[in-house]
Order: sequence, then C-alpha cells, then structure tokens
Amino acid sequence: MRVARFLGTRLASVVFVLLVVSLLTYAVFVVLPADPAQLACGKPCTPERLETARAFMQLDKSWVEQWWDFLHGVFAGRTFGGSGATITCPAPCLGYSFRLNTPVTELILNRFPVTASIAIGAAVLWLLAGVAGGVVAAVRRGTALDRSLMVGAITGVSAPSYLVGLLGILLFGFTLDMVPVSGYVPLRESPVDWAWHLVLPWVVLALLNAAIYTRLTRAQMLDALGSEYVRTARAKGITEGRVVTRHALRNVMIPVVTIFALDLGALLGGAVITEKVFSMAGLGALLIDAVGNTDVPVLVGVTVFTAAIVVVANLLVDVVYTLLDPRVRQGRVAR
Amino acid sequence: MSTTATSRRRRLAAVVAPVAAAALLLTGCNANERANDAAASASPTAVERGGTLRILTSATSVNWDPAMSQSLAITSLGLVERRLTAWKTDAEGNTTVVPDLATDTGTPSEDGKTWTFTLKDGLAFEDGTPITSADVKYSVERSFAPELSGGLSYHKSLLEGAEDYTGPYQGQELDSIETPDDKTIVFHLNSAYGDWPWIVSMPAFSAVPQGKDDPATYSTQPVATGPYRVAETVEGTSITLERNPEWDADTDEARAAGPDSIVFELGQDATVAAQRLIADSGEDQNAFGANFVPAAQLAQVQGGPAADRLVTSGPGALAYLAINTQAAGLDDVDVRKAISLAVDRNAYRVASGGEIAGDFASTLITPGIPGREEYETLFDDVEPSGDPEQAQQLLAGAGWDGRELRFVVKDDEASLAQAQAIQQGLQRAGLKVAIEPQADEVYTQTVTQGDGSGYDLTLGSWQPDFPSANGNIQPLFASSQIGGGGYNLARYSNPEVDDLIAQATAETDPEKAGTIWSQADRTIAADAPVVPLIYTKNSFLHGSKVVNFRIPDFPAYPNYLQTSLEQ
Repeated sequence: MRVARFLGTRLASVVFVLLVVSLLTYAVFVVLPADPAQLACGKPCTPERLETARAFMQLDKSWVEQWWDFLHGVFAGRTFGGSGATITCPAPCLGYSFRLNTPVTELILNRFPVTASIAIGAAVLWLLAGVAGGVVAAVRRGTALDRSLMVGAITGVSAPSYLVGLLGILLFGFTLDMVPVSGYVPLRESPVDWAWHLVLPWVVLALLNAAIYTRLTRAQMLDALGSEYVRTARAKGITEGRVVTRHALRNVMIPVVTIFALDLGALLGGAVITEKVFSMAGLGALLIDAVGNTDVPVLVGVTVFTAAIVVVANLLVDVVYTLLDPRVRQGRVAR
Repeated sequence: MSTTATSRRRRLAAVVAPVAAAALLLTGCNANERANDAAASASPTAVERGGTLRILTSATSVNWDPAMSQSLAITSLGLVERRLTAWKTDAEGNTTVVPDLATDTGTPSEDGKTWTFTLKDGLAFEDGTPITSADVKYSVERSFAPELSGGLSYHKSLLEGAEDYTGPYQGQELDSIETPDDKTIVFHLNSAYGDWPWIVSMPAFSAVPQGKDDPATYSTQPVATGPYRVAETVEGTSITLERNPEWDADTDEARAAGPDSIVFELGQDATVAAQRLIADSGEDQNAFGANFVPAAQLAQVQGGPAADRLVTSGPGALAYLAINTQAAGLDDVDVRKAISLAVDRNAYRVASGGEIAGDFASTLITPGIPGREEYETLFDDVEPSGDPEQAQQLLAGAGWDGRELRFVVKDDEASLAQAQAIQQGLQRAGLKVAIEPQADEVYTQTVTQGDGSGYDLTLGSWQPDFPSANGNIQPLFASSQIGGGGYNLARYSNPEVDDLIAQATAETDPEKAGTIWSQADRTIAADAPVVPLIYTKNSFLHGSKVVNFRIPDFPAYPNYLQTSLEQ
C-alpha cells in the first residue's frame, strides 16, 4: 500500500514536471524572436509567402494555443495545413520538423539508439573505473597511488570534452591508427563494429566523468571506513577486503547511485559535443542541428523528451534507494 | 553562414586510459587503413568509371525535394534530378547553361515574355516511365505549395498569374505553363526575362511524376531522372546513391557520372573531416569534403603533403558593407563616400582569415560573370587600409552631425571579428560606430523586412544563384528589393538604376544585356550604397584518388557532377 502511494505521488509529480517543462519551452521560444517561417519561405521571400508559410506551420496562433496543440498532438496526433494537401503527424506526436519533413517522434526514435549506445557504454565504464579508483584511493589513503589518482581525477574534471575528443581522435585514430575516428554502426548490423566504433567516445566520456565518481567514492569511503559499524566489523575479525566490499561500499553506493542516475539521464538526452566530434547522429547532434536551423518543433520535442528521461531517471533513483536503504521505503528519515 | 555546398545559405554573411588493455588488443589491426604509396596524383583526366565516391559533409540531411531545395545545379541534387537546363563547367573555369531535359536552352518569343522548350527523346524516370512535359509542369506547380517551402523562388514572381497560386494539391493548375503535347512546354512570363534559361536550371524545373508524389516523403525518396538514384538513407548518418539504369549518357552533356556509387557521410565535424582528408587513408582516398576547410587545417595543409589536394576557388561571393541609404544623414552621397574611404579593407580581410580568404573587391558584378567590366572606382588610388584623412574632409564638407552609427551584424564569431575590423577603421575618421550583434533570423528580419529603421550599417555577402549579372545587381540594388524579404540591404533606390535593370532583364541577347549590366554597375558604384570589401574564396580538400575535382569561376563550389575516381 505504502509502495503504491509512494509510486503514485512520484508519477504525478513526473507528469507535472513534464507539463511545466513543455510550457516553459514554448514560452521561451515565443520570447525569443525566432521565426522558423522565415527559413521556410524560400529565396527570394515575399511577405505574402511568409504569411502562407506561417499559417501552414500553424505559427500564426498564440503560443498558448500552440502549446495546447502540442499537448493534444502527443495523445491524439496532429494535422498541419488547411484545405489542400495536409501533413499528418501520428500520435504520439512531439511536433513535426518542416525542415526535415519528418515527425519529431520519428527523429527521436531514430537517434536515440545512437545516444543510448554512447551513454550506457560510457556510463558503465566510468562507474566501474570511478568507483574502483575511489575505493583504492581511500584504502591506500595518503600514498603516492592515492595522490596520483586524485591528480588524474582533477585533470579529468577540468578537461573540456571537445579538446579531449579531438586529442583522442588525433592520437588513437590518426597517429596510432588503432580505432576508427568517426561513424556509427548499428548494433543489429554488427555488434563487433558497433563496439569498435564506440570505444573512443566511451573512453573519452568515461575519462571526463569518472573523476567525479573517484572523488565522491573516496570521500564517502573514508567516512565509512572511520565509522563505528566498520570498527565493529573489523573487531569481529572479518577480513579487510570483506569489510570494504560488503560493509563500507554498500553505504558508499547510495550517493554514487544518485549522481550516476542523474548523469546517465542527462547523457541520454544527448552527448552533444561528443556526438559532434565523433560524427555520430544522436539526439545531441539533432539538437545542435535544430538550434543552428531554428527548427523549433525539434527543439521543443527533444527538450521535452530529454526532460522526461531525466525525470524518469530521478524516479528510478528513488526506487533504487528503497532497495538499497530500507529506511527510505519505510518513510523514516535517514541519519 | 553555412559552409557546405550541399545546403548553402549564401544570402547574408552577413556569414586514455581505463581501457588501455582493450586498446592494446586493437593495436594489431589498422583501424584507418593507410595508403601504401604516396599521394597519387589527381590531375585532370578523362572520365574514369567505377568506385565509390564519398562526400563528407557537416549537413545532417539532404533534401531531395526539388521544390524545397536551394541546391546549386552542379551539386547534390544535380546527381539525381535533371532540370530543363543544366550547368556545364570546363577546365578553363567557364560555366555555361546547356540543355538538360530540353533539346535547347529555350526559344523566346519576339517580346521575350514567352519561352518554349522541347523535351529530348528517350528520357525516362528511374522506373522506366517516359518523362513528359506534364511531369515538368507538375514539378514547377508543386513548388508553389505551402507545405513544400524553402526552395529557390525566382520563378514565382516571374510566371504570369502566379500571385495567388497555391500548388496542384487542390486540383488547380497554373495556366501560365502550357503543355500542348508530351514534348513541349511553354512558359508565359509577366515581363520579358532574358535569363530565363538560367532560371529553368533551378531545382523546381525538374520532372516529378504526379502519381508518385507524396509531399511527405519525396524529400528522402525522389524519383530519379539523373545518373544516380537514392538507394539508402540512414537518417542523420548517410545517404547512398547508386546508378540509375534508365539514365542515358548520350542525352546528358553536364554529367560525367564516373563513380558507380556515391555515399554522403552526413553530420561530419568539419575539423575531423579535414583531418581525415589530410591523412588520406583507406576509403578516405575516395572522398572529398563538401565544407570549406576550417582555418586551422588550412594552415596545416599549406606546404604539407596534402597541399596538392587542396582546391581553392577563384574570387567568388562579394563581401560588402551596406550603408542604409534611407537612414538619417546617410542619404548624403558624400557621407557614404567618406565611410567607403575610411573602411580598412585590409583589416577586414585579416579578420576574415587573411589573403586566402579572398581578393580585394572592386566592381559589384563578381568575377566570372559575363558582362563584368573593370572601371575606375573610389578605391583605385587608395591603399587597402583606407584613407581616413580624406574621409574626414568629406565628412566635414557634408556637415556630418557625428551621431553614432548602428552596425547590425549576426552574432557569430566570424561576423563579430569582421565588424570590429570595420568599426576600428571608421573610428580613425572620427565616425562613432556601435556594433549590435543579433541572432540569425532576427538579423534577417531587421535588414530584409520592414522599414529598415533598425540599422545604419550591416555586412553582406552575395554570390548570385545563377551566373548572370542580373543575379548580382537586381537582388541587391533594385528598389523593388527593399524590405519585404528582399536583399537590398542598402535600401538603395535610384530610378535610373531601376530603369537599367528593367532594360537589361528584358534583353534576350546576352551580350547586349552585359553592356547594360555593366552600366548599371558603374551607376550604382558612383552612389556608394555599399563598400565592396573582398571577393571571398572557398577552399576544399579531396582524397588522392579523386579526379576532376574542379571549382569553376562561378560558382565558387566544386562541380560534383564531373568528379570521378582514379581506377
């Protein structure tokens, strides 16, 4: 019962957040003096043709009406144009890109596997590397190993991804000639080529993100290793390895999982720069392209989709919390 | 400004370690296959057939719908879709209009208002259906439909009775296009138009079979008439073209159709693509970049082994500073001349990338365009860095009130650097200039729509859409092009010039037209509505096995239709 109520409340807040995000997104694009019809007007563009284009794209309505049409389209689909030929966008319609002649939902579905491949692979790598690095640094506190791991972490946190990406391409792609420099091969076509093309982006992203996890894990681990329950465990004669992995690490993982889910959620919304540098057509590349071309329907659709992923990631964190820490499930306040 | 030839917008420029183990495992094999021999020569040769040509572009899509495209006749769309006429480029850099679907470049009536074309025999779509004049008419008609927007629209204001026409999807026809039989197509124009043969080389004048036209999918699944058809599209990633068996080389003088297939690699980072072309390994030997080579790689290439694979165009688009002739005080020609003299054109060129960015401009008609004649300009005896003292004298004589000039530019880095170079030049003559950066479409609206009260100065860059002085002069200086989406950024209105434009436009003899255009050029320059800065140059890189990769004098883009691979 408690679990059902917990999930119900959380789901309601998910819907509310998405409504607010979509409303704000629409409002922002109205405040910005962007006019997608200008680009659709052709060359040369007369005021009459500009009006026709605007009416066809339904940009002549107020932004609240446009927002309402958007929401309606998500559930019931949309039809653009009037008496003549029309363009239909089937539900769930997250908008229609007149520039690409494609429903935004279709674009997102095409691009998401690319972004997911980059994000999930990189996330697994950086979680493993980051947590392992953090544990080792904590256990070997004050040694040269600890210090070099921390210096590495600082470097990783500070490096811009564009630079690391390009350096990676130059070094491993062109100079050492070990990995392909660009392109994406779908998993179903060839799993080996898929992974091989993704190695470099995974490593670059992992390198940049693992640092935070190393630092976080180290700090949490040091805290845990100094706590009373660990002392008790040691006093009971449990081996040090078991103390670290079974007792300390389990508590350390709670904040790590929180950050991880949020990072992964954000990355699933598009690894913008990584995708650009490695020429991979993911959500991030779609978004950048849409910004450059004032493709407002794509901007709105992708923004709402990304927000949904982040919000769902949050929801999952809450659920995982309840598994990792019974106190949360029981509604008690953690220490 | 977009930097790809496939989807250009030429209007306004104004323009490791955690997996070290995995890495070690992979060292054995070559990820990016190396060339065994040194860069093979890419000298112009006869057409070689075969191979897969790869085109690396930052564009994430190619819109194959002829009604929605602003593609040049010699780039992407030209590979798949033939039009009534085409552009033929030769080794000397000349570009001429040649018959494509039609048997000639059109026959004008006495008054120049009616143009008749006859289709060649034996033309067919990729499915074998014969191409008729009705298919061409339908293609032009659908370019008027509001759902198919964004294409080149010159014909829309030229065809008679087209003002209220909204396309064929409601069953309406455009009466000013007649098809008396399957081979003949007749266009009735509002007024005489000598450059109509160039207009019908634009994408809208392709052939589209009505029965296979789904406006929602035609942009990715066009029905081919050219040497290639679209075989596969991976959205955002690649487009593969394969040979169209129905295309007959004997009917086509514009396309060499060398490669067996062509792959567009989409969404490529311009820097990485340039590095790949410099490295020239494996498949990249058969590739060329559709984007301009970024400044850093341009420096890297020069003097290096890839230098002979760098192709730089001749002087192309005219980059200019437009002076709003309707703004207070700027209606005085002496003030405009003072601004022209105060501009530091050398600083502008440095800000644009230095000498390789382009040559200093003189005439308004760009090099390579018939009718261009050099004449004595304001800048003949002036250093490229300008003459601020003479400018100051002119300003004093004109009684300039010293108000601050609003200099509106696009808010990208390149435009800002160029604007600052201009600003510093003008300040030397005591002119006060405030730079106002604006987002792309806001900028477009400020300078092309409304009454123009929002700016005094702006930067423009213009390469005509077809190689006629008409394309240089009319869009930028006809009074009909002020506001309302037109590109007369100087808001320049001179009845004498309008008259010359009307005369030259109506002239169907190209030579006579050229003389009138040149006269218009001089007349405008004497009024100094714009300051010609440079004729921009574009640089492209190609792999070592790519041959016949040439940039004509016009346009400053490579001809995809002639590019082939060494076998």
